[in-house]
Amino acid sequence: MPAVRDLQDRLGYVVLAATALAYFAVYTTSLGRPPGSFDYLAILNTTMPLVLVALGQSLVVLTGGIDLSVGGVVSLCVAITAATGGTPGWILAVLLLGTLCGLVNGLVVAYGRIAPILTTLATLSVYTGAALWVLPVPGGSIAPEVRAVLSNPNAPTGLGWLALAVAGWWVLRRTRFGMRVYAVGSDETAARAVGVPVERVKAKVYALSGLCSAAAAVFYVATTTAGDANAGAPFILTSIASVVVGGVAFTGGKGSAMGAVAGAVALTLVIDVLFFAGIDPLYQSLFQGLFLVVAVLLGTGAALLARRRSA
Amino acid sequence: MNRRVGYAAAVAAVVLLLGAVLSPGFASWPGLRAVLVVASFTGFVAAGQMLVVLVGGIDLSIPWVLNAAAIVLTTTGLGMADRLPLALALAIGAGLLAGLVNGLGVAWLGVPAVVMTLGMNGVMQGLTLGVSQGLTCGECGHYAPQPLRDLFAGTVPAALLVWLGAALFVTVLLTLTTFGRRVYATGANPRAAYLSGVGVKGVTVALYTLSGGFAALAGIMLVGYGGQASLGLGDPYLFESIAAVVVGGVSILGGRGHYLGVVAGSLTLVAVTTVLRAQQVPEHGRLMIYGLVILAILFAYGRERAHD
Repeated sequence: MPAVRDLQDRLGYVVLAATALAYFAVYTTSLGRPPGSFDYLAILNTTMPLVLVALGQSLVVLTGGIDLSVGGVVSLCVAITAATGGTPGWILAVLLLGTLCGLVNGLVVAYGRIAPILTTLATLSVYTGAALWVLPVPGGSIAPEVRAVLSNPNAPTGLGWLALAVAGWWVLRRTRFGMRVYAVGSDETAARAVGVPVERVKAKVYALSGLCSAAAAVFYVATTTAGDANAGAPFILTSIASVVVGGVAFTGGKGSAMGAVAGAVALTLVIDVLFFAGIDPLYQSLFQGLFLVVAVLLGTGAALLARRRSA
Repeated sequence: MNRRVGYAAAVAAVVLLLGAVLSPGFASWPGLRAVLVVASFTGFVAAGQMLVVLVGGIDLSIPWVLNAAAIVLTTTGLGMADRLPLALALAIGAGLLAGLVNGLGVAWLGVPAVVMTLGMNGVMQGLTLGVSQGLTCGECGHYAPQPLRDLFAGTVPAALLVWLGAALFVTVLLTLTTFGRRVYATGANPRAAYLSGVGVKGVTVALYTLSGGFAALAGIMLVGYGGQASLGLGDPYLFESIAAVVVGGVSILGGRGHYLGVVAGSLTLVAVTTVLRAQQVPEHGRLMIYGLVILAILFAYGRERAHD
């Protein structure tokens, strides 16, 4: 039954569609009009940082790893961007630094043979400390011209960057490197046996995750126009949740970064759905937690059903 | 006992010795006592975390299970000594229940441990905040009943005896009982364990339930130590519990590890922070050194086998 099997592979899109529908419904019934361009723009700008972090996280998860240090890299890059005023030159430096932070993770995981969850747990602490060092108290600023091209409050500039991220993934997965990411994730021993340079692939994947976190940090500062050395902490668990909702398997090798992007948007929308449905914000995380588990059960249930039918 | 417990103990000894050399009050009993008491909180959560890590799982729900139990305790104890037994039972019960649901989700529904426990963390956070109205409810301001706070008084605080009891319980459970054998068998190879008649699902459910109970115990002890419950009480213990487990020489892949190592791991982590604080290293420096110390320990005895 291909339609049922598809649900597992396309979990992210199905969940996103359902959430978007729910958003449209509760918004319209509570305000008496459908959401306008302002609402869409607000969603786009608030969701961009999580979309980028989730994209990087999904690459790592596809190889069977996990990156807890995204929280530290985002914090550090937010701190530097905000402290330096976010001029284009500094943003370039921040992107480089984020990549470097990720690369360090990758080298330790690949060549140091330390479990990804432990490596990134340790570097999370190091990067968060560095962020506090750069920006001890919340503050800073971002150059207005940078803000205008990233998260312009009047034009959907974020769409262009989102398209760029999507295009980047679309190209990446068709390259030799993209194939190798899946190969390492599905069966590392087999990948090694056919000559995939597993260590180099891992190092690159973590570096890319670092780059994504740095880009997310720049977007974060552009949207909030200030920095906070603890800004990255929430992204650790939300990026993992996005990847999960997006249907990327934690065992590696299965799923797509686009699913994770859809998952990230869905997770952001859920907060709005709860808000317009009149749910006490204090109960917000209760529903987010249920949403996460139910989305995954939906995916495993569909897979189970597909297996039963084909058997 | 395996070699890694020895390494963990040696690292703890080195850090404590270093502390004694660097700062004067550290080597005295009051100094050591303070470290032991703070390490006991990490020790409780790490006990639960270790149990699930032994079967290759992970418990990310610790922060808010801990926090929920702490608030259940103060809001049902109302600061009265005669209500303490009831409050303790409810707090531990809440933790066990959350753990049970985690276990059922992981073992029976096949939800990945990361997802199930992350979801549970959100559920417990929402319930805690919602029911207590953001800790503004009438009962929320109560202090912990006096007998609980007395656990932390005296030359040898009774809280340390509670930790000793917990350590004995976990060690006996894992090394001297059939259940313990089954835990290691499941962790080493779940399929082989299943085929040789181990009730893998039952073992998994029991371990997650225990982890919930240990998180609740940590919450109770933290309330006794600090006097009152607060929001975010459990947040530092998510990653700290994982760190204590691996610094304690437990393999993150499951099947190997002893609680004695985790005790040493908890001591190491708390001693590092305490020494740095005594040296007046600012927070950013503490965080960076803490991370580097964990990384160095991982390089020393936390590496996986080579691939060829």
